[in-house]
Amino acid sequence: MKEIIKVASLKKTYKNGTEAVKGITFSINEGEIFGFLGPNGAGKTTTIKTIIGLLKPTEGEVFVNGINVKENPFEVRRLIGYASQETGVDDNLTGEENLRIQASLYHIPEKEYLERGMELLKMFGLYERRKDLVSFYSGGMRKRLDIACALIHRPKILFLDEPTLGLDVQTRVTIWDYIVKLRDNHKMTIFLTTHYMEEADELCDRVAIIDHGEIKALDKPGKLKELIGGDIITFTLNYTNAIEEFLTAVKELPTVKDVRKLPRGIFQIIVSQNGDRLIPKIFEISKEKGVEITSIRLKRPTLDDVYLHFTGRRIRDEEATKEDHVRRRIMMRRTRR
Amino acid sequence: MMGLVLDTFTICKRELIKYFRQKPRIIVTMIQPVIWLALMGNTMSKITNNPFASKLFGTGNYLSFMTPGIVIMTSLFSGIFAGTSIIWDRRIGYLDKLLAAPIKRASIPFGKTLSASIQGALQSAIILLFAYILGVRFASGFLGVLVIILISMLFSFIFSGISLILSSTIKTIETLMAIINFMTLPLMFSSTALFPSKAMPDWLSVIAKINPLSYAVNPIRTLTIKGWEFSSILPGVIIILIFDLIVAFLSYYVFKRLTSD
Repeated sequence: MKEIIKVASLKKTYKNGTEAVKGITFSINEGEIFGFLGPNGAGKTTTIKTIIGLLKPTEGEVFVNGINVKENPFEVRRLIGYASQETGVDDNLTGEENLRIQASLYHIPEKEYLERGMELLKMFGLYERRKDLVSFYSGGMRKRLDIACALIHRPKILFLDEPTLGLDVQTRVTIWDYIVKLRDNHKMTIFLTTHYMEEADELCDRVAIIDHGEIKALDKPGKLKELIGGDIITFTLNYTNAIEEFLTAVKELPTVKDVRKLPRGIFQIIVSQNGDRLIPKIFEISKEKGVEITSIRLKRPTLDDVYLHFTGRRIRDEEATKEDHVRRRIMMRRTRR
Repeated sequence: MMGLVLDTFTICKRELIKYFRQKPRIIVTMIQPVIWLALMGNTMSKITNNPFASKLFGTGNYLSFMTPGIVIMTSLFSGIFAGTSIIWDRRIGYLDKLLAAPIKRASIPFGKTLSASIQGALQSAIILLFAYILGVRFASGFLGVLVIILISMLFSFIFSGISLILSSTIKTIETLMAIINFMTLPLMFSSTALFPSKAMPDWLSVIAKINPLSYAVNPIRTLTIKGWEFSSILPGVIIILIFDLIVAFLSYYVFKRLTSD
């Protein structure tokens, strides 16, 4: 697999002294959906903006498709599409005008624009509303238009900064579908940031957990969850004399790490992996030993647990500057409509 | 170079589409200078009945003296507000979109400046037409009117450039507005836009001499009142062009290095 983005000891300290990114190193493979998961203010946006050359790194190097961003930002910009957190579409233009201006900025000939632009508008379900002013669009439509704009020049790599921030669950799932389609049909590499656990879990091939400007963990979502321990099976039994015998038998199953006895007749089995496959076996043993299971429940660790494990807390809101608040307020107002 | 021209047109096109869509804004920007002309021109119109004052103003018709001033004042305003669009673009995230595109960065200030100049030119044309209706006769004829509009465009280029350069570092509209207010009125009243330098106290006439507004007003006034008197038209135009070049160079430099923070 080819490494399409390489980030080496990237550091970004703002003029006011804030260390937004404290020396991170990672790489992204071609055709991968790579996610940055972390709370607001963790350094996600700073990292994206530094990779695409909107910010100058304080230290470190970034290579996109083998090109050093610091030396040749212009070439890198041709390769990438970027949809910012603020949904940078122009309210006072129609959807079509937004797309057309974007096409002109990339010097796409009129004929090709018409072909691609209309195709994108249809794909993102905006074709019928293309002649309406964006100020009449809903939050989801705006976001879709913004992503369509980022795709007009067929970029190799798409950067999506919080692509579903502030959207309802249904719209969010629609956008996930588009993202997966882009990767599958166009072999596009997608780098996204999010602070939604489910989004990172469902969508990303690999996830980096970032907090206070540092990468705390980086792997496939499944691996990350395994890392912090396996599944937990909780069950209750009707009391019989065979219980001890039953528990001993369960303990001897291959993936079982531990069996705990909790108060009020509740038992917990800690499983290293694939707890779901263990449940039928537990039932078999219970039948053999004549023990009646009255309830059984499987709990798998979520990315939230992973996050908690690596950062010591759940996702929270960070303090931001006044201007950030203004931007965010404007964005929320535009999104909610 | 070709890229810079194309990108400049694209940026300018976006601004103009938005300008022509905002009907109330067009109406107000068109009516405002007309009101100035009608109001100021009328209240002061008797001043030139005094032969001494008439000599100071260089014409027997105060409106002829006033019109170039109003043209330049309007260009000043249409130019100096150009910066607000950068601040707004930054807030809605559009500026990042422009910075992430493989465009020549200078096309951002150049495109916005061009659009501001075109808007200013339209306003100037309306003022000149209205002045004609009120009885102002342009000594240099129709061609002179076109040159007046051109000079007003070159002039508004200076201040939209300055405004855009300021806005590239200023983050809030309020700060920009404060700076604009701080600049415009003193610029207006320390220039020869509304009063002839001969009528000013010495200290003010010195300031008026180095004020770029005066350099733009003087050639326009000559074209309006006296006609094609090149010795008094060219110096002003050349100085305006020099200012244009300095501002163009500065904005090229500033925007080339512009980042998102």
